Amino acid sequence: MRILLVEDTIDVGEAICRRFQLTGHTVDWETDGSAAADILSFTEYDLVILDVMLPGLDGFSILRALRQSKSNVPVLVLTARSEIDDRVGALDLGADDYLVKPFDFRELEARARVLLRRRTGGDATNIIVCGDVSLDRANRSVKVGKREIQLKRREMTLLEILASRPGKVFSKEELLDQLFGFEEAAGPNAIELYIGRLRKKLERAKARIVTLRGVGYQLVADDNA
Amino acid sequence: MTTHRSSLFARIVRRVAIVLMLGAASLITAAWLYARTAADEAYDRLLLGAAFQMSESLTVADGALRFVLPPSAFELLGLAQRDRIFYRVIDPAGSTLTGYADLEPKAPLSQSRNGPVFGNTEYRGAAVRTVTLSRAMTLNDGTGWSYVVVAQTVEARQALASELTTRATFLVAVMSLLALGGTALAVRYSLRPVDVLGDALRQRDPQDLTPMSADVPRELIPFMTSINHFINRLDERVKLLQRYVADSAHQIRTPLTALTAQVSLINEDNLTPDDRRHLERVRNRTAELARFTNQLLNHAMVIHRFDSSQLAAVSLNDVARKAFRTAIPITVDPDMVVSFEAAEDDPVIMGDMLSLREAIANVIDNALRHGASSRLEVRVTRDGGYGRVEVSDDGPGIPAQEWGNVTKRFYSTRSGKGASGLGFAIASEVASVLGGRIGFREKAEGQDFCVFIEVPLAAEERV
Amino acid sequence: MRLLLRSLAIFLWLLPSAAAAIEGQRAFFPSNGKETERLTIHAATDLEAMRPLIRDFQELRPGVAVDFVDYVTNDLFRQAVDACAGKSRSADILLSSSVDQLVRLANDGCAEAHTSRETSAAPAWANWRDEIFGFTFEPVVFVYDRRALPAAEVPRSHEELADLLRREPEEFRNRIGTYDIEASGVGYLLAFNDSRQAPTTYGRLLESLSRTKTVTRCCNNEVLGEIAAGNVRLAYNVLGSYAYAAAKANPDLGIVVPGDYTLVLSRGAMIPSNARKPALGKQFLDYLLSSRGRAVAREYSFFFSESGPLPAGVDGPASLMESGIARPIRIGPALLAAQDEIQRRSFIEDWKRLIEGR
Repeated sequence: MRILLVEDTIDVGEAICRRFQLTGHTVDWETDGSAAADILSFTEYDLVILDVMLPGLDGFSILRALRQSKSNVPVLVLTARSEIDDRVGALDLGADDYLVKPFDFRELEARARVLLRRRTGGDATNIIVCGDVSLDRANRSVKVGKREIQLKRREMTLLEILASRPGKVFSKEELLDQLFGFEEAAGPNAIELYIGRLRKKLERAKARIVTLRGVGYQLVADDNA
Repeated sequence: MTTHRSSLFARIVRRVAIVLMLGAASLITAAWLYARTAADEAYDRLLLGAAFQMSESLTVADGALRFVLPPSAFELLGLAQRDRIFYRVIDPAGSTLTGYADLEPKAPLSQSRNGPVFGNTEYRGAAVRTVTLSRAMTLNDGTGWSYVVVAQTVEARQALASELTTRATFLVAVMSLLALGGTALAVRYSLRPVDVLGDALRQRDPQDLTPMSADVPRELIPFMTSINHFINRLDERVKLLQRYVADSAHQIRTPLTALTAQVSLINEDNLTPDDRRHLERVRNRTAELARFTNQLLNHAMVIHRFDSSQLAAVSLNDVARKAFRTAIPITVDPDMVVSFEAAEDDPVIMGDMLSLREAIANVIDNALRHGASSRLEVRVTRDGGYGRVEVSDDGPGIPAQEWGNVTKRFYSTRSGKGASGLGFAIASEVASVLGGRIGFREKAEGQDFCVFIEVPLAAEERV
Repeated sequence: MRLLLRSLAIFLWLLPSAAAAIEGQRAFFPSNGKETERLTIHAATDLEAMRPLIRDFQELRPGVAVDFVDYVTNDLFRQAVDACAGKSRSADILLSSSVDQLVRLANDGCAEAHTSRETSAAPAWANWRDEIFGFTFEPVVFVYDRRALPAAEVPRSHEELADLLRREPEEFRNRIGTYDIEASGVGYLLAFNDSRQAPTTYGRLLESLSRTKTVTRCCNNEVLGEIAAGNVRLAYNVLGSYAYAAAKANPDLGIVVPGDYTLVLSRGAMIPSNARKPALGKQFLDYLLSSRGRAVAREYSFFFSESGPLPAGVDGPASLMESGIARPIRIGPALLAAQDEIQRRSFIEDWKRLIEGR
């Protein structure tokens, strides 16, 4: 993936570059606002990480120009201002997420991943319902009754797989393939871990994950059972 | 009313009263002088008339002086009923013809040759008014001056003068009272704009730093201009302070971010276990420093916001969801069950979106950091006239005796690790500015420990 | 004070018949109970008229003894002037029919004021400065001898009297009696007021009187005595009280209230400024002015009153004041004119010249 980082603080920019490069992304780093705006006008990126306070042109202006040119590249705004208005302003101007400095680098990576995946994850817009569990694939949000449950990415994917066909039994291998693909080496224990976590998060739901020993797992709505 | 803080009304009325009293005193004095003069004039005519009659009764017969006292003269004087009458008729030789021989007017008799002479003197222990008349008489032994002196006590004059004075005094008193009453009314009326201005100031929202625009009379314009000038300066100060906070936030955050960034770049593989331990501590301390800095700056920002921003209708579901998203990092422990439950009928409260979000976020952050072991739930509910955001977790909770303290700034629980810093303080301050409070509910069977923020519903929401 | 004394001395010296020692007729009324106080009354009014009043007062105040000294009016005046100057003992109350003299005394500061419920009831003409009060109401009348004067001839007014005498001067020679105004203060006061009241009539009357060789006597009772004795047929200017008292005793006496005008004299009472017991004097004054005192006076002493009808047998209108003929001699400063020494001397001289033909 190709990421544009616009950050004028060398120490910070260096660290962000390094971390994203370590996970295999291509990072272009600009320290000047107007230079960044120039680059954005002719280069396609998968993610823009944008500091607000910049020499040349500030982050908001860059963002505004970007959205006016109908580009829908995900933008993550970094701000050091205490004015929380900055964040609101950023969201209003079309930023996809923001972080207030100083931030945890793992959090930055996690949020960047979410944004990158949203871009690649296609356009599933439908809502899957099983029991009182509903899964909004567009927002990637899960509701149990009225409660919104915060799920991790893989938990969400796992639930998406199970809920896509309630009652169907998925084998561990099937789930391993869909969850991790071939790029990551993960053992069957990983599936057990995620199933455990998901079960816990659906604890009071009217749907549950049933383990068929030696066969696999299925999602069952309580009112069906 | 103390002497230090007498009202404008009392001061004006008191001064007018003094002026009126002085005026009344001088008017009464003038009336008294006038009354005395008038009484003297009135009774002097009687006195003069009687003296003329007596003088007319002096006749010369056969070259000798003859005198017949006219009773009508006494009847004339008798009009002053209570007054005693003394008289003396002196012949040209200078001897007393009849009457009281020892009656002596103050002025020499000869002075009366130019006309009647009035005077005041004392006779037989009583104050008397005298008149002296002269008449040239030609007798056998030549021409000479004879004199008539008539004296009358002054009881009637004094009675008339005092009656006139009493009446004048009464009138002056009535007029003074009317004037004072009128003044009081007029002053009350004139001071009404001051009251209006005072009311406007009293009822003004303390956060409202816009200039005042009351309709005041000319005299109050400098006063209001000063107030507006002051408001303006205060407004500038607040803005300056906010800018200062914002600038310092930037100035502090940037190196702090750089610090975390650099720390995150250190390659742990090449480190000795000891160094790794040190690095971990540096990382933790850096994170703590970052968090405190954020809280500190947010706290300053939130508090100053209330100095200037106006309240608006805010959806509690909305603000709580935003706070939830802000406070729960994506990197949260995967074993933690975190959920959000909005209220079915969205409570609308009067508040400031950003401050409130910050308050709720701080409570959630605190629960996440110090409370929850595997479950954290955020719930928006409506309770009577209040909208409520509840944050519950399955942690041990805060002991009831600490509830009062945790909302204090930088208070650390006795257990030591649960330093809440400013989180609860921010939440508590925001809640109380909005007329609400922060509250706690103890952990019980089937119920997690809960911290909630309660804010009164917007007026139109309360049915 | 020296001035005062000097003026009084001059005044006294000017009086026509100044006497060194003034003697009065004394009467003593012992107290009904144990004597606690003694009231001294100097009066120029006859004792018999005052006796019922004093006795009645003593009924009210049993502890009071009364020392009553009766003078002729001029003597009373001189005595009072002496007392005012501190030369002799002062009475506690002075009573005199010659009110002009009392007015003179009050004008000279020899009186003490007194106000009470009773004094405020006194009519205005009978009160000067709250110092002199008139306590009687005495019309000045003609008294005639019914035996000698036929009813048709009885004069009903001053005018008629003058006409009568003018018509028949010989008939009435030495048959008309009146005061000797030189000897009697009251006589002078009445004559002076006659001259003021109707100067023309007075002049004619005086002329008529001179023609008839009028008999003059010092006092009322002597004049009345002459009528009773048959020496005089008609007495002019007699105080109604004496006339009525005499008529009660002698039915031959007729009384006429003159119809043109009737002088009304009110005897004066005054508290001297240096009275030794002014409070007691005031009590007696209040008694005289009270309705009880007036009732006693009307019944036993003076027979006439301002409000009541004329006593039975008196020839005149039913109510003197309402008929409009009453001319009360106002107690006030105008009476000072009568007291002027030149006035008095020349008036009396004129009178004497006419009456006595001197």
